[in-house]
Amino acid sequence: MVAAHSLILAVGLAVAATPNTWVTDGTGFLSPTVHQELEDRLSQHNAGSGLQILLWIGNPQLDGSVEDWSARAFKSWGVGRKGLDDGVILFIFPGARKIRIEVGYGLEGVLTDARAARIIRDEMAPRLQGGDRDGAARAGVSGVLAVVGGVADPAPQGEQRLSLVKIILLGIAGLFFLGLLITHPSMAVFLLYSIASGVGGGRSRGGGFSGGGGRSGGGGATGSW
Amino acid sequence: MKKWILAIAVVLVLIIGMSVVGGYNSLVSLDQAVRAQWGQVENVYQRRADLVPNLVETVKGAAAFEKETYTAVAEARAQVGKVSSASLEKLAADPEAFQRFQKAQEGLGSALSRLLVVAERYPDLKATANFRDLQSQLEGTENRITVERMRFNETAQAFNTKRQSVPTVFIAGFFGNRFKEKPYFQARPGAETAPQVKF
Repeated sequence: MVAAHSLILAVGLAVAATPNTWVTDGTGFLSPTVHQELEDRLSQHNAGSGLQILLWIGNPQLDGSVEDWSARAFKSWGVGRKGLDDGVILFIFPGARKIRIEVGYGLEGVLTDARAARIIRDEMAPRLQGGDRDGAARAGVSGVLAVVGGVADPAPQGEQRLSLVKIILLGIAGLFFLGLLITHPSMAVFLLYSIASGVGGGRSRGGGFSGGGGRSGGGGATGSW
Repeated sequence: MKKWILAIAVVLVLIIGMSVVGGYNSLVSLDQAVRAQWGQVENVYQRRADLVPNLVETVKGAAAFEKETYTAVAEARAQVGKVSSASLEKLAADPEAFQRFQKAQEGLGSALSRLLVVAERYPDLKATANFRDLQSQLEGTENRITVERMRFNETAQAFNTKRQSVPTVFIAGFFGNRFKEKPYFQARPGAETAPQVKF
């Protein structure tokens, strides 16, 4: 247990901090307008489909290969939803002149290695060779979204299946609350207040990125320019 | 006085019993994690083996006289087929069998990379979309193999550490072969990094 914990810690230390936005640009690679445009697109796509797609630009200390670093970053950030593993990170490493698309397990069947390689080779690399950074990032994001765009969000179905259980649980909680209201009114009011403030605090959906616990296994492609 | 001794004995038996159950259960869950990860390793190796026929056909079409190279790939592929039917229990019980498994897989890996080097000499072949797709699939798969092997070593290490610590080591010993130590993948000499894409 201790060994496993220190391993996780070591992995966490080796990569960059978990981003809280959909687009991270630590190097001034993108123009502010395109940065905002891509942030909005990825945020909107997440709100609609539930998929987590990140664009991350930076020059980290690469101890091994680009692939190794990307897989560790993906694991540490937990991109995509747990169990569905439906996340993608598009990395651009300007210092190393490298691009990496790291695909979560759940999207490997759609965004195959060959498709990821084509996005890098045909859409991004030529634009970067021509000096068009904004265009390359935009084309990369568009390419990924076009491929994964047809993936339907399986989450609502899961919620529907749970709805009966949910109703029963809510009913039990309601009865319990009524009983409490009669016997200990002040406690009931306090409970209600703390639940309400808790819900308000957790309501940040549709905003920035926070990892859902998705995993990847090194699928995707790497390229350079 | 007797009552006290009895009470202490009961408490001791309870504590020991609980630690045995806890130790056993944690070994079982770590063992399952290793098995699941082994499944992933087999998966990615199978994925690479499945790419071989298509890749050989494509190269054959454009470079018919490089017969040696793709015969070597076919032979390495056959070798992998022979060893990969063994289960993890057998491989864990027999370090030599694990070595053979690893060697056969490495043989296929290097035969495939030689095939790609040969293909570099044929610009017509390199330019075809089919070959490029196969090449990126192969590169992606090699990368997956690296990742899943590394994760296998991590889960195997977690299991082995638990298995060798006190008091779990006594419990594991009691169950004999049920909790054998897990083997590790050795780093491939000079091949720590996945093949790079060149444009």
